[in-house]
Amino acid sequence: MKEMKRYSLTLTVNNETHAVVTPPNRTLLEVLRDDLQLTGTKEGCGEGACGSCTVLVDGQPVRSCLTLAVAMEGRKITTIEGLAQGGKLHPIQAAFVENHAIQCGFCGPGMILTSQALLNDNPTPAEGEIRRAISGNVCRCTGYAKIVKAVQSLAGEER
Amino acid sequence: MKLPPFEYLEPSTVPEALSMLDAYRDTVQIIAGGTEVVNRLKLRLISPDYVMNIKKLRDLEGIVDHEQSIIIGANVSVNEIRDSSLLQHKYKAVAEAAFQVAAPPLANMGTIGGNILQNTRCQFYNQSEIVLKGLEVCHKRGGAICLAVKGGKRCFSVYLGDMATALIAFDAQCVLEKSGARRTIPIIDLFTGQGTQPLSIESNELLTGIIIPKQNGAYGSAYRKLRVRGSMDYPLASAAAFLALSADGKIAASRLVIGASGPAPRIVAGAPAALSGKLPEDADFAAAAEMAYELSEGVDNLALPGDYRKKMVRVFAQRALQGARTDMKRGM
Repeated sequence: MKEMKRYSLTLTVNNETHAVVTPPNRTLLEVLRDDLQLTGTKEGCGEGACGSCTVLVDGQPVRSCLTLAVAMEGRKITTIEGLAQGGKLHPIQAAFVENHAIQCGFCGPGMILTSQALLNDNPTPAEGEIRRAISGNVCRCTGYAKIVKAVQSLAGEER
Repeated sequence: MKLPPFEYLEPSTVPEALSMLDAYRDTVQIIAGGTEVVNRLKLRLISPDYVMNIKKLRDLEGIVDHEQSIIIGANVSVNEIRDSSLLQHKYKAVAEAAFQVAAPPLANMGTIGGNILQNTRCQFYNQSEIVLKGLEVCHKRGGAICLAVKGGKRCFSVYLGDMATALIAFDAQCVLEKSGARRTIPIIDLFTGQGTQPLSIESNELLTGIIIPKQNGAYGSAYRKLRVRGSMDYPLASAAAFLALSADGKIAASRLVIGASGPAPRIVAGAPAALSGKLPEDADFAAAAEMAYELSEGVDNLALPGDYRKKMVRVFAQRALQGARTDMKRGM
């Protein structure tokens, strides 16, 4: 194995800064889970197809499994742990619970963050817009109907 | 899956990037959005000594409306192309292609430069190290056999980019820069047609921008794509069409391009002769689509059977021509 330089990074995750020392060949997903113990972000396929590793970077959903951690300095990263405040679920999380939009829960963090990015850009999305926005997040349990319903329940609400 | 070891380069200017490419030529892999390169690294299809991130090069951003052309920076994300009202109105095929690239979060990461410069794919190649260990070494991996075509003397891997096919319908060009030199070539010339080495870009060159020439008069365009899951997936057959009409409503110029049909996007060379001087009608579109069918390679190396994909090239070529006609009527 080649001896790699290690990088001292300052990452902003959920409005907190974290100092991380890492070689360059690590993904944002690995750093979030293994270094920062933010294990809410899930690894599914590991190749960008399933969306379970979705986090928000500067408010936009990205695949953390395809993102180099070393490229993330200066960016604002939001993980699922960043939504609930003071022990109270974020309205999107609450809507997912209320609408039974979570079964096994593995797609939940990515699905919720993708929905949040949609609602931030477009507070009153139509059903088709919701379906399009979450089309990169695979759920094998719910059949999507309840997820769409959960997001629709928030359309137009203040968050 | 873990990434292989590499050293990381992050130039902050284009000249700095070009001198790094010179210094580390043949040992450096450029990365922008990462959606293709990170997967290739994880699968060990490539193991470069250096990975150079060009995402912070501000000079490669922006969609600029010039008098004679539109210039798109290589780092412009696929979603920015999709959302550009300029492209949606005047270069519909390009916006439609962007709309159909992967899924929104991936198109948010992926850049137009990276989408164009993606490598060819094959189900006997885009596999993990473990799977590939169990397969004979094919042309794409430096061997002398093809696992998709028995007795195949060359590599039949398929180019699955969406953007290039649509851009070629507009005869778009790309700007390639290296230290001390710069060349502008038609995007179609970026492709060698060889599955093993599909791109003609040199290892010390950087794709910096895309130039789409402006069109005048009545014209329309469209991009159509077959995929298994409408929400994501590479194309399994695709076509882009451009039609321009003269004052009498007859076709004055046309271009039909097919994708996902071989190691490069292909211009259907006979289409303009079949369409020129005629009214844009389905019967003539069908004749051009038949030529697209003849040109496509139907090989069993992707998710759907090759002969089905070849037939669907004909269907999607026809639909792209019809889509271009609809776009034109709207614009007249």
